[in-house]
Amino acid sequence: MAETTFMGVPRDRIPWFPTIDYGKCTFCMECDAFCPHHVFERREGGRKLVVANLTNCVVFCRACAKTCGPDAISFPDKPETIARIKQIREELTVK
Amino acid sequence: MKRAILSCNGLDKPEGSVAREVAIRGADATASEIICPVLLNRAPARYRKALTDSLLIVVDGCSTRCATKLATRLEAKVERKLLVSDAVKASGRPLESTLGLGPNGLALARSIVDEWVRNLDAQAPAVGPVADFETPAEYLVVTHDKFEFRIPAVDYLFNENDVWTRVLDGVARVGISDYMQQKLTDISYFDPPKVGAVVEQFGELGSLESAKAVFEIVAPAGGTVAAVNPAVIGNPALVNEDPYGAGWLVEVQLTGWPQDQELLLDPAAYAETVQRKAAEE
Repeated sequence: MAETTFMGVPRDRIPWFPTIDYGKCTFCMECDAFCPHHVFERREGGRKLVVANLTNCVVFCRACAKTCGPDAISFPDKPETIARIKQIREELTVK
Repeated sequence: MKRAILSCNGLDKPEGSVAREVAIRGADATASEIICPVLLNRAPARYRKALTDSLLIVVDGCSTRCATKLATRLEAKVERKLLVSDAVKASGRPLESTLGLGPNGLALARSIVDEWVRNLDAQAPAVGPVADFETPAEYLVVTHDKFEFRIPAVDYLFNENDVWTRVLDGVARVGISDYMQQKLTDISYFDPPKVGAVVEQFGELGSLESAKAVFEIVAPAGGTVAAVNPAVIGNPALVNEDPYGAGWLVEVQLTGWPQDQELLLDPAAYAETVQRKAAEE
């Protein structure tokens, strides 16, 4: 399922994936029901949810957070991620 | 055309109380009818006339977007959507933790309605197009199972978030690809960026909504928003019907071109990306 590269950068080197704030999460599972890339996995008989498949997450997609009523999902800073991707691209070009 | 307001009833969250207040104040300010979401869900026939004859203002309390989902299910024509939880973040003032309406909640409801009504009075904002683009003449076609995804063969560039751009005289026209419009299915709402807003490459150029998802439009190039497509605001289905032509979304006066081009895909490379994505689903 995982994308192998994004903008020429190995996907596993790009730290872009959701983080669940368990202080807010109500385990309504709306995010898991929505995400077609199986980033989330249900545990404990479907009562808990974890971010299981980090590199399945589409870089810069924040759609699951936009489905989250209790606002429990956050993503990394976008400009920082873009800078990181550009830095890795330069490193790869030099090599 | 008349207006009707469909709002979150919000009995279990502070944002819901604000949504309800927005509906009441908005109905008063714009002489609109209020549609009760509970009754609409139970007996849609009660509001059939209102939904047919009116433009709908949808007020959601939180991102669960219950009111939006109801409107989508009933295929109502949505003129404007308001999301209280986003307005809370933008205001920088948290709501009171009580379910009833506190001073911050009341102030926020007033400000949401004031801005909405002010925009109505201002009529349509100055929007595009600012450049004269031609419809693509030739396409690459990616097939997967029974699906066909078209990609213009020349002049268009793409980011990996399925957003295209076409550049003419320093202006980039932006839209979503045929692959993404098919993934989203029937697009029901376009929330455009503000004309004049400065957006970096990979920043947000508004969003599209369908019953399946809220899709963030990831900017393929940086610049200043010069125009948004008024035709799509009035008829979001245009994106499904003609994603590379009449369904364009935004025009951006470029500030980082041609450097931004380095991070975009040409049609052949994007065709490979689409093939891979379709295979992974």
